[in-house]
Amino acid sequence: MYLVADISVEICAAKSCKLCTQYCPEANTILYSDEMGKDKGFKYGSAYVAVDRCKGCAQCVWVCDNMAKNHAIKMIMIDQLPVAALTDNITYGEKSTTATLVSPTVG
Amino acid sequence: MSLDYVKFSSGFEKFMPKEYRDMVEHGPFGKKVSVSQMGSFKEVLEEHPMCAGCAMTLFIRLAMIAFPNPEDTITVGTAGCGRLAISQAAIPFVYGNYGDQNGVASGLSRGLRLRFGDKPKDVVVMAGDGGTADIGFQQVLHSWFRKERFTTIMLDNEVYGNTGGQESGMTNRGAVLKMAPLGKKFEKMDMLQMAKVAGCAYVATVVPNNPRRVESVIKKAVLIAREVGSTYIQAYTSCNIEYAIPTDKVMEDAKNVENDRYQFSEYITDEAKQFLTERYGYKEFLPKPAAPAPGLPKA
Ligand code: SF4
Ligand code: SF4
Repeated sequence: MYLVADISVEICAAKSCKLCTQYCPEANTILYSDEMGKDKGFKYGSAYVAVDRCKGCAQCVWVCDNMAKNHAIKMIMIDQLPVAALTDNITYGEKSTTATLVSPTVG
Repeated sequence: MSLDYVKFSSGFEKFMPKEYRDMVEHGPFGKKVSVSQMGSFKEVLEEHPMCAGCAMTLFIRLAMIAFPNPEDTITVGTAGCGRLAISQAAIPFVYGNYGDQNGVASGLSRGLRLRFGDKPKDVVVMAGDGGTADIGFQQVLHSWFRKERFTTIMLDNEVYGNTGGQESGMTNRGAVLKMAPLGKKFEKMDMLQMAKVAGCAYVATVVPNNPRRVESVIKKAVLIAREVGSTYIQAYTSCNIEYAIPTDKVMEDAKNVENDRYQFSEYITDEAKQFLTERYGYKEFLPKPAAPAPGLPKA
């Protein structure tokens, strides 16, 4: 098993700065959804990780901890994530994306 | 080369992979995208085998977002890490023999002008420090002296990272590397000064820990190269493998190196300033409104 980045919607949506999306070295990996977190009462959306593309470098953790000062991202073993976003389940819209979360190891 | 080259031939949509369909429908082609929208549109760069956490990968990702017209752009590269990613994008990529990338780009940019006239077709060379300052040095310098109208970007990781850690001309004096165990004995080459002496119209240094700045310098460099002359960007893109930087500290290193010896710098000729202002509406080079003369009695 290997580590991937996991973003807490509750912590991220409180700030929603999108910084990590600009610093992940991998393209199309940290995406942003305007909708994520709305069901929990947050005004803005949240960033999330397409874990099939994440290379586990933890650069986003440094960015969220030190630049955004928000501590929303943790590295976690992929089989410990009950659900996550995968490229196949991501839909691009006009200004935002949406993801159906599924079990990352089953698909 | 146009917007049409990425589109599906009719009847083939359903056979195309999701990534391709997303790119055609929600990619940057024919639109203006910026780094502030990252994470909400499909980027042209696909999965590639570059190392986890590589700053060069981030820089290439940002560069492709910054290209003013990705559908009218061709990238040229050479051996080195960067080409592993640059070649995995929906932007045509020409892979030169080692060191001849600026010669290839010269012919390509002249050919595109003959074929397409005034319609801008951008040629952008992205090669490593070895490819640019050592093995490609002669062709790079001569393309600048000839004022060839394309952009040269050096991905400066200050080492031959792809082949086990030999020193390059851009390695700092004293640096000890796996294949340079006694430490480099000479200074880092001053390619910025050489670019100015050779007549480049725009020369800038950047570090990828400032995505908006990367975007801004690449846009300017590509636009200026459309008409005014050669442009050169030198980007610090650390090799976390050969310099043993933990991947979660790559941006911290970039910040420290930027403060220490890779400060942002930008050189632009008056002709290039005028071109950006008149043709593309840039405001930053307009004369500042004169301050009221001090000490005049109020009327
Ligand atoms: S840096 Fe942190 S707070 Fe900002 S968008 Fe990313 S996860 Fe959310
Ligand atoms: S761990 Fe690295 S590859 Fe994965 S999302 Fe974070 S920055 Fe991107």
